[in-house]
Amino acid sequence: MGLEVDIIFKIAGVGIVVAFLHTVLDQVGKKEYAQWVTLFGFIYILFQVASIVDDLFQKIKSVFLFQ
Amino acid sequence: MVKLIGAVFIIVATTVIGFEASRHLSDRPQQLRSLRSALQSLEAEIMYGHTPLHEAARRLSAQLSKPLSNFFDSFAKKLTDTETTVNEAWETSLREVWKSTALKKGEFEIMKQFGETLGRHDRFSQQKHIMLTLSHLEREEANAIQAQMKYEKMVKSLGFLSGLLLIILLF
Repeated sequence: MGLEVDIIFKIAGVGIVVAFLHTVLDQVGKKEYAQWVTLFGFIYILFQVASIVDDLFQKIKSVFLFQ
Repeated sequence: MVKLIGAVFIIVATTVIGFEASRHLSDRPQQLRSLRSALQSLEAEIMYGHTPLHEAARRLSAQLSKPLSNFFDSFAKKLTDTETTVNEAWETSLREVWKSTALKKGEFEIMKQFGETLGRHDRFSQQKHIMLTLSHLEREEANAIQAQMKYEKMVKSLGFLSGLLLIILLF
């Protein structure tokens, strides 16, 4: 359970920092870089979430299908 | 504990990089301004003082502050000590000093072209060439000030935020 909370905070942190980076880059008119930064942040978080969901499915599988 | 120390190191390093880059940005207009005042003094020395070039360069290097004073100093030394043309001495000392300044390629070309005209003409054409160079430098300075206003804050916060992002990703 401890690990789950850790990961939530990590995702939140990445979200905040990426949002800041996006605003800063947007303000000086580097829109393309801002979009790349946001995209990479999103992809990174997506990988994290995908691996966690994979864990969840494995667990469900082991509980319901195979003893 | 070790992780925390590493995190502090990362954030300090990226913040310092950001501040260093922003210092580079704010140094450039300042150095351009002193370069322009140097050329104006050079014009005064040539037009009204009738000073020889190496003497004028020595006086300029005494007047100016650090990176540009080195340039005029080495220029004066080359003129007095070695067997060379003004153009060569100007260009080689320009190349030597350029690395330590915050100035860019455009200014380098302007100064190099100015060096090619230096000492070739009578006083009045020399004055015209100085005026031309001054106006070029003025344009570059306006660009530099614009770039400074635009990017100085961005570079600072970019350094800090990228450090923060790196820490979160590695934690």
